[in-house]
Amino acid sequence: MLAADSVLLYHTDPVPLHKPVSEPKRRFEQLVLPHFDAAYNLARWLTRNDHDAQDVVQEAVLRAFRFFDGLRGEARPWLLSIVRNTFLTWVQVNRPADTVEFDDALVEIIPTDEDGPEIQAARNFDRKMLNEAIAALPLQFREALILRELEDLSYKDIARIVDVPIGTVMSRLARARRLLAESLGATSNISGTQVHK
Amino acid sequence: MTREEANRLLHAYIDGELDPAKTLELEAHLAENPSVRAACERLREMSAAIRDKADYHAAPAWLEARVRAAIPAGPENVSARPAWWRWLKPAGSFAVAADWMRPAASFAAVALVTWVVALGVMRPGEDERITQEVLASHVRATLANRYYDVASSDQHTVKPWLSARLAFSPPVADLSASGFELAGGRLDYIGAQPVAVLVYKRRAHLIDVFVWPVEAQKSEQTSTRDGFNIEHFAKNGMDYWLVSDLSRSELNDLAQLIAEYSAP
Repeated sequence: MLAADSVLLYHTDPVPLHKPVSEPKRRFEQLVLPHFDAAYNLARWLTRNDHDAQDVVQEAVLRAFRFFDGLRGEARPWLLSIVRNTFLTWVQVNRPADTVEFDDALVEIIPTDEDGPEIQAARNFDRKMLNEAIAALPLQFREALILRELEDLSYKDIARIVDVPIGTVMSRLARARRLLAESLGATSNISGTQVHK
Repeated sequence: MTREEANRLLHAYIDGELDPAKTLELEAHLAENPSVRAACERLREMSAAIRDKADYHAAPAWLEARVRAAIPAGPENVSARPAWWRWLKPAGSFAVAADWMRPAASFAAVALVTWVVALGVMRPGEDERITQEVLASHVRATLANRYYDVASSDQHTVKPWLSARLAFSPPVADLSASGFELAGGRLDYIGAQPVAVLVYKRRAHLIDVFVWPVEAQKSEQTSTRDGFNIEHFAKNGMDYWLVSDLSRSELNDLAQLIAEYSAP
């Protein structure tokens, strides 16, 4: 009965498109659920296993529906930011030992004249090794890399999702790629970076 | 352009995020420096290799079906309200009501909720009752323009002031480096006990952080009431309730900062 009321209202009393009042589930399915795979992919790379990713995504999507009114602009970055926040909450409850550290002192790169050459010929990367190396990256670098390379999001969108300035996105990505190159080309000459711990 | 700067800008360049002026500058530098050019190529290859070889985890079909089924069919903002809410409004006015309900400070609605609670019409669970109480306290402070009993951005002033008046000593974090300025503290009475309220400031938003000792580790929760976001967690023997009209993600950030600070 409620649904019928809503449909009627929708025709007689049109509301702006970004303010879903009637049939929110249908609109949510149209706008947000097409990005279910993106949500899962991010959750899977954050949690690093299927079971936890399923929990996080389910919770995140239901949360997204509750806050559907708050959607402004594109649905995919919005949904991904909810996935990320849900993940951070989830970590605190379920994996308190994996305290999430966002220490951007780690990001600082001290360039030298040799900065750069240690990035290996990437075409030789072994698929399995590459996936393992990405999974082993610290969270803030891993998420930046996944959002950029697998979700193909702009720095601006990533900045919004991760809630840091665009400059930080850039340095995290640079650091992510360098860490990855280091771990994949462990035998090569590694120089030009210093990790502050 | 120095070599250092060129190396720094390469990432933005291959990501197509460099502005036109810097792009020209960098390209001129690349033309002159074969080694930076080679580094640029390797970076591009690496990016291409990640896109090509890193696993893209598509969701299992059953999961999407399950989540789809779990989404409530009715309008959430209506069905989420207690049943009594529905008879307070004439039928068919949901669209209009939802519109005026949305502004951040819908005080009338808040007052109504607290009034109903006061009358004992609802018999909410413990968490629900505390949610109502902390929300009411926050709104009361806003309406009365009485945010704190002790106004200070110094944690070493606020903490002793609160400790002297309570049977416990609440952790008071200085989070100004993260953009949350301590504005002060006050006392209130929540869940039949005196509690500490830390008041933080973020831009024009005030955030109330209610703190009191708790025995059991309770699950955390978030909710939104009448435009206010509420975040709850327990850490190291203390219960924390955050209430503000600040955005959900920023409030969540503050909750995490406090949780980190309160870690044993």
